Amino acid sequence: MIGRSSPFFEAAKHAVLVIGALIVILPFYVMLSYSLKSPQEIETNTGGFIGAQAPMVNEYCVKLGNTREDCTETPVVFNYTQAFKQAPLLRYLLNGVIVTVSIFLIQVVVALPCAYALAKLKFWGRDAVFTMVLFCLLIPVHAIALPLYIMLAKVGLTNTYAALVIPWTISVFGIFLMRQFFMTVPDDLIDAGRMDGMSEFAIVWRVMLPTAIPALLAFAIFSVVAHWNDYFWPRVVITGNRDLFTPPLGLREFRGGADGSDWGPMMATATIIVTPLIVAFLMAQRRFIEGITLSGMK
Amino acid sequence: MAQLLISDIQKSFGETPVLKGVSLDIADGEFVSLVGPSGCGKSTLLRIIAGLEVQDAGSIWIDGTNVNGMRASQRNLSMVFQSYALYPHLTVAENIAVPLRMRELNSWQRFPLVGPFVPGTRPVLKDINSAVLEAAATLDITHLLERKPGQLSGGQRQRVAVGRALVRHPKAFLLDEPLSNLDAKLRVHMRTEIAQLHRRLAATFVYVTHDQAEAMTMSDRIAVLMDGELLQVGTPDEIYNRPVDIRVAEFIGSPKINILPAGCDANGRVTLFGKATTLGAKGTDKVAHLGVRPEAFVITNGDGDLSGTVTHSENLGSELFIQLSVADVDHPVIVRAEASLAPKIRRGSPLSVAVDHGRALAFDAKGKAVAVDDRDIWQKAVNA
Amino acid sequence: MPDVAASLPADFPTRHAVVDTPQGRQARTALYFVAPAVLLMLLILITPVIIASVLSFSSYSLGSPGFEWIGAENYERMFTRSTYQKMLTATLTYVLVVVPMSVILGLGAAMMINSLRRGRDIYKTIYFLPVMAALLATAIVWEFTLHPTIGLVNKTLADGCEVGWLYVLLSGSWLGGDPAASWFGHGCADGFPLWLGNRNYAIWTICFIGIWQAFGFNMVLYLAGLTSVPRELYHAAEMDGAKSAWERFRLVTWPMLGPTTVFVVTITTIRSFQVFDTVEALTQGGPSKSTYVMMYAIFEKAIRQNLIGMGAAITVVFLFFVMVLTLVQRHLVERRVHYS
Repeated sequence: MIGRSSPFFEAAKHAVLVIGALIVILPFYVMLSYSLKSPQEIETNTGGFIGAQAPMVNEYCVKLGNTREDCTETPVVFNYTQAFKQAPLLRYLLNGVIVTVSIFLIQVVVALPCAYALAKLKFWGRDAVFTMVLFCLLIPVHAIALPLYIMLAKVGLTNTYAALVIPWTISVFGIFLMRQFFMTVPDDLIDAGRMDGMSEFAIVWRVMLPTAIPALLAFAIFSVVAHWNDYFWPRVVITGNRDLFTPPLGLREFRGGADGSDWGPMMATATIIVTPLIVAFLMAQRRFIEGITLSGMK
Repeated sequence: MAQLLISDIQKSFGETPVLKGVSLDIADGEFVSLVGPSGCGKSTLLRIIAGLEVQDAGSIWIDGTNVNGMRASQRNLSMVFQSYALYPHLTVAENIAVPLRMRELNSWQRFPLVGPFVPGTRPVLKDINSAVLEAAATLDITHLLERKPGQLSGGQRQRVAVGRALVRHPKAFLLDEPLSNLDAKLRVHMRTEIAQLHRRLAATFVYVTHDQAEAMTMSDRIAVLMDGELLQVGTPDEIYNRPVDIRVAEFIGSPKINILPAGCDANGRVTLFGKATTLGAKGTDKVAHLGVRPEAFVITNGDGDLSGTVTHSENLGSELFIQLSVADVDHPVIVRAEASLAPKIRRGSPLSVAVDHGRALAFDAKGKAVAVDDRDIWQKAVNA
Repeated sequence: MPDVAASLPADFPTRHAVVDTPQGRQARTALYFVAPAVLLMLLILITPVIIASVLSFSSYSLGSPGFEWIGAENYERMFTRSTYQKMLTATLTYVLVVVPMSVILGLGAAMMINSLRRGRDIYKTIYFLPVMAALLATAIVWEFTLHPTIGLVNKTLADGCEVGWLYVLLSGSWLGGDPAASWFGHGCADGFPLWLGNRNYAIWTICFIGIWQAFGFNMVLYLAGLTSVPRELYHAAEMDGAKSAWERFRLVTWPMLGPTTVFVVTITTIRSFQVFDTVEALTQGGPSKSTYVMMYAIFEKAIRQNLIGMGAAITVVFLFFVMVLTLVQRHLVERRVHYS
């Protein structure tokens, strides 16, 4: 090995990296810890990581006319139940799943045949279509949010699932990625399918799709992460109908009226929103990192 | 130019010992090849000499100075890597200039854009430039100076790598299998070029290769390394004709030497397939094998030292190699013959050959060479 | 001439003989395959660009029946009115701070992690977490952490005021100055800053959150780039006389990471231009429009205040920046591809 790998330098590197890690992890620590604490503990910043879990009185419950005894519970229960009660969080989570899955499925249905045609089939206009793809790679969807919003408003589609999903159905990046991948599939494999009597349509789904699973998985991860976490577009296009809120919108709604006792439930909501992807990430780190970086190295 | 002294080098990677105490003396201006099969430790030894690896025990002396603990950049050696390791983002001229720039200019002078304006830099840059041109002229790559490595062929890249190595006039040149990435014809051509370069520079060359033909054709001396041990060091002639170990005999020479089972009778006379030969062991060692190179056979009509059936023949145009299947011998015996005999050699037909006893090599059961000589007395006894 | 047609069986399909070749069929199928994508590209990507360009020259509002051309008035306003100057300042400040910092931190972290003997994966995972978590959620948590009174940061700083040696260290009085006049001293006396509420701090805090979120992504890309640098080049550099880590970096690492750097800078820049979540949730463009970035301006002007024309003009300028950047990146990458 070239260069110093003395214990001193190793230790120094670890020291720096540990300090960095602490800063990076700080919000996650705060989020998790405060989702477990009572309002008093939050205000005074006491209680260690998981809080003393001393039973507290739920003021909302008392206001509803129940006795103080009935309304006593531990902070963690209070925070997490409030998270689900003060806003239809389950509904929001469900929306998140519906939107994310719909977007990905439609993206695949649109992109895969197009990528196959661009990679393997000869037709008049192929170069023109590919040039269009390259041009559209220059246009981030967030950048054209305004005209899209106007178009949707004009046809009365704001505040619908359709509005949440439609602008993302065309993933130019997905077409580009799958085309690059398909170009590496040997032509013989496709000809064999044709000889077996498969239609082109069948070839796309029976021959190309199975070979493209790694690239598709990477794309899936990239798509799901991007759209589960997306705040801007839903914020623009869902203007009144709370039932259609995606998880980030739900959290924002919570934040809108933040007063003392709501910090706990708000942190709980944040934890609930962030956890699915974090857990998935921790379980399949390599795949996630490959997926996100594959998006880069095109 | 310098003398290199390698003294009892030992190196292990984890549990596996790779070099088990290697010592070698390389004189100033000598071309020494380190040969051996893959994995025998020769590249490791070269890197230890260079300073890129640190040995577990033993010392390296360059021109009388012990360089243990000295970094590679300070040992004033140059290395030509198997993969050439050219900087892809620099032109050929810039690649060759790197060693000079690193040593002659300090950090400020090397700063992009501003560097040349630092006082005192211009004359140094001029010198560097002329050194680069000189190196390029020596290797006949002046027309490639403005190209990038990605635009060059394998042979051209190799010359740029050599150019980068020689521009600094180092104490010694270390070459790590520089020809193994080239195609066969180019390799043969480059062998001559490297040998001529060595003569022209009169520099110390340490050359690592697994190709025994390269070692034989280019070296002043060959060091045969196997399993981490130096088996023999000698001139190509000595290695070829007087190997001290059966493994050396088997490694050097193409096609491979034929090892025949032999024996010794009470008088020290060597027997082959039970029949007596004119060879006698000089000392008390017992001969167990007889090594006969393909060219040391003579084709006889019927009565020879051994006979077998032709299983295969290779006609190279300039010579013929016949493979014989012989009783009691596991591998086919390879016999060299004149190409003109090709029509007469048919697969499946019997063939009988005699051994040129003067050129046979004897080895004991452990593989050590046994000195034998051709005893006329016995010859007369046989004839009588 | 032999009469081929006459020798064919009666029901042999002759009408489609030309078009119904395998190539013909493939071509038709291909058109069906690309049609949905092409349609969507036109509808969802290209048409809106045209619409935005057209509307930018108008004073259109949603819901109002009229449509008035006002020429380049919107653009004029953008480059003269102070609100929009602040918008450009805020956006450019953010981009020019976040991009270099997150690229440098990403590279630094990648190089350090790459050279470790143990523990690489743990650091990689931790540093990548911010990329995975919804920015809105983590931004809100940062807001809470940076709360002037109950936030962890200010609370910890305030606690540090009590600890003697820490006070001396952080106020710099060991360097020979008046501790009360230092930043830390002021904070202890008057209270630590409103990280998001103070005009002088807000934009930097938003930048910090942006860097925090982005550098993990860059780090991962650089790690991939570093592992693809051929090891022998470092050995060659050593033989050539490169003694220090800095020289090795300049001669081998940095040039070999060229394409990665181009990509990382471009992606980070485009994403930085698109910053919205942190601003909308934490500062709403304030205080005093110090964090009034372009995406937020579009949102406020066009969606909330229904000044579509102005919003369209900002959109056009924004698109222009992004397109130019991407084209520059493509050009640079193509030029470099010719040397591997």
